[in-house]
Amino acid sequence: MDMTPALQIFIAEAHELLEQMEQSLLLLEHRPGDRELLDAVFRTAHTIKGSAGMFGFNTIVAHTHQLENLLDRVRAGEVALTPALSALLLRCGDHIGTLVMPAVDNLSLEASVIAVGESLERELAQYLPAPPAADRHSMAADLATFLDGGPPSGEPPPVAHPASASMADDYAVFLDSAEPALSQPAAMVWRIALQFGPDVFRNGMDPLSILHYLATLGELVNITTLWGRLPPLAEMDPESCYLDMVVELDTMVERSVIDSVFDFIREDCQIRLTPPSSQVQAQLADLDALAAGPAKLGEILVAANALTGAALATALAKQAAESQPPVRPGGPRPLGQILVDAGAVPEPVVDAALARQQQTRQMNGQDTKLIRVDAEKLDQLITLVGELVIAGSGTFALAQQAKLGNIMESAAALLRLVEQVRDNALGLRMVPIAATFQRFQRVVRDVSLELGKDIELVIAGAETELDKSVVERIGDPLMHLVRNAMDHGIENAERRMASGKSARAKISLNAYHDSGSIVIEVSDDGGGLPLEKIRNKAIERGLLAASANPTPQEIQQLVFEAGFSTADAVSNLSGRGVGMDVVRRSIETLRGMIEIDSTEGLGTLVRIRLPLTLAIIDGFMVGLGTARYVLPLDVVVECMELSDLDRHSVSERGFINVRGAVLPVVRLRDAFALSDPDEPESSRTQGEIANGRENIVVVRFGGLKAGLVVDELFGEFQTVIKPLGKLFSYLQGISGSTILGSGEVALILDVPGLIKRVERTRPQGCVVA
Amino acid sequence: MAKTILIVDDSASLRQVVAIALRGGGYDVIEAFDGVDGLSKLNGQKIHLIISDVNMPNMDGITFVKAVKQNAAYKFTPIIMLTTESQEGKKMEGQAAGAKAWVVKPFKPEQMLAAVSKLVLP
Repeated sequence: MDMTPALQIFIAEAHELLEQMEQSLLLLEHRPGDRELLDAVFRTAHTIKGSAGMFGFNTIVAHTHQLENLLDRVRAGEVALTPALSALLLRCGDHIGTLVMPAVDNLSLEASVIAVGESLERELAQYLPAPPAADRHSMAADLATFLDGGPPSGEPPPVAHPASASMADDYAVFLDSAEPALSQPAAMVWRIALQFGPDVFRNGMDPLSILHYLATLGELVNITTLWGRLPPLAEMDPESCYLDMVVELDTMVERSVIDSVFDFIREDCQIRLTPPSSQVQAQLADLDALAAGPAKLGEILVAANALTGAALATALAKQAAESQPPVRPGGPRPLGQILVDAGAVPEPVVDAALARQQQTRQMNGQDTKLIRVDAEKLDQLITLVGELVIAGSGTFALAQQAKLGNIMESAAALLRLVEQVRDNALGLRMVPIAATFQRFQRVVRDVSLELGKDIELVIAGAETELDKSVVERIGDPLMHLVRNAMDHGIENAERRMASGKSARAKISLNAYHDSGSIVIEVSDDGGGLPLEKIRNKAIERGLLAASANPTPQEIQQLVFEAGFSTADAVSNLSGRGVGMDVVRRSIETLRGMIEIDSTEGLGTLVRIRLPLTLAIIDGFMVGLGTARYVLPLDVVVECMELSDLDRHSVSERGFINVRGAVLPVVRLRDAFALSDPDEPESSRTQGEIANGRENIVVVRFGGLKAGLVVDELFGEFQTVIKPLGKLFSYLQGISGSTILGSGEVALILDVPGLIKRVERTRPQGCVVA
Repeated sequence: MAKTILIVDDSASLRQVVAIALRGGGYDVIEAFDGVDGLSKLNGQKIHLIISDVNMPNMDGITFVKAVKQNAAYKFTPIIMLTTESQEGKKMEGQAAGAKAWVVKPFKPEQMLAAVSKLVLP
């Protein structure tokens, strides 16, 4: 989306608003206390802040925010508008004016401007109270009255219809997955049970739109409508909704994404999500694919996606309980047995995992010899291998063009070797996380002495390897998390004894590989997050609707919100949440994710998930005219020729029929506005027309399929990703570039972005069941 | 036929950002600069969704939403309220008035598009 026109409007608007503010302020000097003028001044500041926020102009937002706070106090009569204050406000307006152009042009501010801003903000601060305690109380009071007299909650009215009993049974089978239960392996789809409240239509909500939106996340496999609540026709209110639905959704998105679909109807609606579990076959395949990895059975199963970490913890707790008196007859069961008995993992999977464990043990017996290498040399090697990959591809392409069979063969052999060298070279950068983890032994010892708490650090999975550059940057966030756990998570000894815990607290660091990413966990057995306090705090901070009914999980994630960690939160929230947004940001710069899972009274677990990023991918090259584009090979499903019949279908309807299924199709030529495809005679040479039938590449992403119409297919291609420059970061449909063997540049297509575009233009074409 | 969306906000640049995003998503967009203007733009024509700011001159968003809900022709029209983080109270007022959906400023164009497509199809 090109927002340049909006930016132009922003510049004009900002200056206009500042002028208005100035005029209103000057008028106020003659008519002190004029309510309308005051409101107008406040509104100008508010509007500038809002618009600047839209464009991410943080300097303007920060300064205007202070100004707005002060104006709010003036409006509330807490601060008098003295001539001195009026002059200050005018200077603030001037200052905002000087911030506009540098922000729009993305220039850094001159030191003198920054100094002016800082001094103005200091002056503003004199009029503002240090902790906004008063505001908070009045807000809490507002909240209380709202909650007392507010609209009825989303609870459905009791139903007396005979069919409702069977419906209640239907719902009863849905597990509440918020608790870490040992879940049964079932289908690969999410089940979503929706009980719409009577008011959905009156609130402007259309259940159909929700279903359509769900369909954009994946494939709607099945929708069952339950009409148990439908009253006899005579009693039916045509404006009320009586329907319930069970939707089965085949999707790759995460739970939170599915959950957010229902944000606006949560109040009116009862929603239950049941996540899919992996299938036995897939788990066995994952087990096979595991390289020499974790040594413990549970970890092996988790790494193979056969078991969730939470379910493993439950099973381990059960095992521990069996070894405590009264000891179970015959001693505690082995972990595998517990898992099979609970139905968490099928027996063949456990057997395969045990075999894998045996194998790993044998491998670990061998001595490892180490050589120390300068990291600089390694980086040079990686760069060189990247170049080698490009050159190798170039040679292969030349051989293909020359159509010399034996040279092609030797080039192909060379290419295979280069691929192996590439994989090995990238492997060299992988280092175990052990060194990082070990650092914390000392930290925990020192800090626990300082805090007067008895804390033990337990490390697991220290042999897990990750990219060196990631290891270097994960230390600080981990330090933050561990210190947080010790400071605020772990209670003092008396409290622990009182709640029946051992006086000695435990903090665990754990790392493991999980389906293509690396997971690092920091957990403690402390007091857990105080949900109620977080909820109140979040409502007060405007991060959560007071009427919202978030799950404990959702409340916990709020501690990562930027607005959450303020000085205020320290005193209110036993400190946890301090700087958690900073931690999240540093994890996100590593393209990772962070989540928190806490049980009040029992402890907290923070899980960091990092990708195994590679600078080189397997690509699939296509041609449009003289230009070359590369698709990541793993999204390509198949290729086919575009027949004349389909060509019509593409240009008229935007989709074609592929073996009876609808396939939305986009012409890359149109998407990138290359040259007019309707006039091939004028824009293409005779030669191109002769052999130039167009082709379709079918791509898949996130459960959606789409076809891309291209001129030529060139096949597999080793691609070294070069990121696009800052200038091009807003380009849609392009995710990077690469250099071909010939020295030409090929653009790497952003398939998710393209699919989104296909979908958006032709909503009927996508996969709605 | 493309669905029509009315955006009511006193900031022209914000209206522009929303309009660009929504037109890109295949919707038609009508703009209004405050509550009074918004009501006059409603006149008789089919509007599939209304997006309204809270703090506006002449007629604020809450009053505007109440007025829309009283108009029989638009009582089922979904309304998205634009709030800022500091306006939690306003958001609840808006919900009580009948604007059940909301988007918190500042937002990314894609977020707006996602919120809209939960309520109306293009």
